[in-house]
Amino acid sequence: MMIARRKAFQIRVIAVLALRNLRRQVRRTLLTATAIILGAGMLVFSNAIGDGTHEQWIDDGVRTGSGHATIEHPAFRMSRKLEDRLAADVRAVAEAALATPDLADRVTGVSAQLTISGMASSAAGARPAHILAVDPQAEVDFTNLDDQVIEGRYLQSDDRLAAFVGVGLVETLDLRLGSRLVLTAQDTNKEIVGQLVRVVGVFRNGAPPVDNTVVHIPLAIAGEWLGSGDDVSKIAVMVEDSTEVSSLVRRLRQALADPVDAGRVTVLGWREAMPALASLVAVDQFGSYVIFAILFVIIGFGIVNTVLMSVLHRHREFGVLQALGLTPRQTGAVVLLEGLLLTTVSTLVGVGLGTWLTWYFLGDGFDMAVIAGDSLANNMEMGSVVIDPIIIPMFSVARTLQTIGWIMLIGILASIYPALRATRIDIAESMKFDQ
Amino acid sequence: MTPDDMRRDVRTENLWKIYQQASEEVQAVRDVTLTIQPGEFTALAGPSGSGKTTLLNLIGGLTRPTRGQVRVADHELSKLPNHVLARLRLNQIGFVFQAYNLLPVLTARENAEFPMLLQGVSAEERTRRVDELFARTGMEGLEDRRPGKLSGGQQQRVAVVRAVASKPALVLADEPTANLDSASSDALLDLMDELNRDLGVTFVFATHDERVMERSRRLIRMVDGRIDSDVIRVG
Ligand SMILES: Nc1ncnc2c1ncn2[C@@H]1O[C@H](COP(=O)(O)OP(=O)(O)OP(=O)(O)O)[C@@H](O)[C@H]1O
Ligand SMILES: [Mg+2]
Repeated sequence: MMIARRKAFQIRVIAVLALRNLRRQVRRTLLTATAIILGAGMLVFSNAIGDGTHEQWIDDGVRTGSGHATIEHPAFRMSRKLEDRLAADVRAVAEAALATPDLADRVTGVSAQLTISGMASSAAGARPAHILAVDPQAEVDFTNLDDQVIEGRYLQSDDRLAAFVGVGLVETLDLRLGSRLVLTAQDTNKEIVGQLVRVVGVFRNGAPPVDNTVVHIPLAIAGEWLGSGDDVSKIAVMVEDSTEVSSLVRRLRQALADPVDAGRVTVLGWREAMPALASLVAVDQFGSYVIFAILFVIIGFGIVNTVLMSVLHRHREFGVLQALGLTPRQTGAVVLLEGLLLTTVSTLVGVGLGTWLTWYFLGDGFDMAVIAGDSLANNMEMGSVVIDPIIIPMFSVARTLQTIGWIMLIGILASIYPALRATRIDIAESMKFDQ
Repeated sequence: MTPDDMRRDVRTENLWKIYQQASEEVQAVRDVTLTIQPGEFTALAGPSGSGKTTLLNLIGGLTRPTRGQVRVADHELSKLPNHVLARLRLNQIGFVFQAYNLLPVLTARENAEFPMLLQGVSAEERTRRVDELFARTGMEGLEDRRPGKLSGGQQQRVAVVRAVASKPALVLADEPTANLDSASSDALLDLMDELNRDLGVTFVFATHDERVMERSRRLIRMVDGRIDSDVIRVG
């Protein structure tokens, strides 16, 4: 009873001393607290901006590319050939899996596409073309190109001989709305065959490789033209955001286990399907980590400085504490607790502030052009992917907990040395009158 | 002397404390053998540098001897690790230092209660003891002040209350009156004298103060780290 009470009292004494000492050094405490708060706030906000930026890169990338996940023939990625396509039965299994309730809830877009390398020609000449045969209705949820129409409209489900063409190609082939053009490519029998289509819409994406070569046509026409029927090169799948990709890929691999084992299909996440984009994100992320590391070091030194200074100025006090019967370890605990309290409270305030700032920009987004300057005000281009300068910050609980964890770790580490100093003071020396 | 008293005495045997200064060594305490009985009111006098503080620190376990032994309450101090020494101080020894020995962030009452809190004494009991001792020392009404708002004499009274409230067997006081005017030091000495007579607390002072020496009942004089004379006075 007495012993339990003694323990409880001793813990209380340690807490009271730590709290009062922080309060006594108001200025020093506030200064360090401000540094931690700003650091933590910046960290949360810049993480949200960074993650939002990456999410946007990924989103733009996967929309022009092959989705968050792609289901395709194992050889297609390298060959890009018509013969390496998904057979209709595999496509049916994949689409059935995507239609099961647990996946259907998470999937925001599915696009079955036939990718065709061919030529587009008109009276004005011929140009190489990336022909994408799509289901117009499904593709509308998927592609960004339907938002980039400058003339006419995107494909519709009852379209027959229609083509949606990039502005660059329209100009070089001297086309206009309603113009006819001929697409030629190898069919399933390796014969060169042509298909006449009419321009129903023109888009401007901003990335020259896209504007100069891309043509969308209805999948049904392509099946007749090339003799591929309902076969597709790939099924691209979109989800809400990139954090769901790995579980999506896992589920699809399960559902397609048999054809996967038979080498007839493979399921790739966007990182595998678009390694260049993945490494772009990784490099940028690494850059942020370097900056965060520097920030952590600064915060760490701030805490060490505050806590250590307060130890050095209180030698005599720690001497008195130990003369009165506080053990060296308990004396160290006072110091450690001071550092911990300072870090915990400041971190929570800072994270709260950063989260608030993130929420504030969540609606309208954060205009990177404000920082990056007017030259980038309209469009930013990364490779063949065009990036919107308005960044919607991405808030993630896991990320925030990670940030809190890191700063707390820094706080603990930064308080250990001063705490050790406090445990090791020479009592008799510290009590000397002239101190 | 009862067997219990036997256990409460303080003994040093051939006690040495040698400080190693750059090239020379300083023999702060040289071969001191001494027994202090329970209930003594003893002054340790001697010129500056004669080793008074060092001897008190050795007895209180604040410094470890170079050679020899210190026994307090039947414990051989040199054999105890630091945290056990801290606990021994908590339960057996009260300290009063020359100055600035209150915790600045605590009020007078909290300072006085501090060792009792560490001991686990209940709130009512702590209040009772501090109220009584503050009343005896004329400190009523000042309980909630921080040390910075107390005079030197008031601070020393709080320090003495703190030293005795936790019911130690032994109080070690290093120049407790050095910073006080004569009225304040007389009041403080009255208090300690009273506590000594009423509660049987053992007091050992290191002092230059003639008044303290006069009121002591045993006067030990030190010179160059040795005991030069040891006189029992009739009080
Ligand atoms: N940490 C130390 N390192 C080296 N020498 C020390 C140390 N502490 C004390 N001394 C020396 O030991 C001797 C005794 O010192 P001590 O403080 O015990 O004397 P004192 O009798 O209390 O003196 P005063 O009356 O001035 O307080 C002195 O010569 C002092 O310089
Ligand atoms: Mg001294």
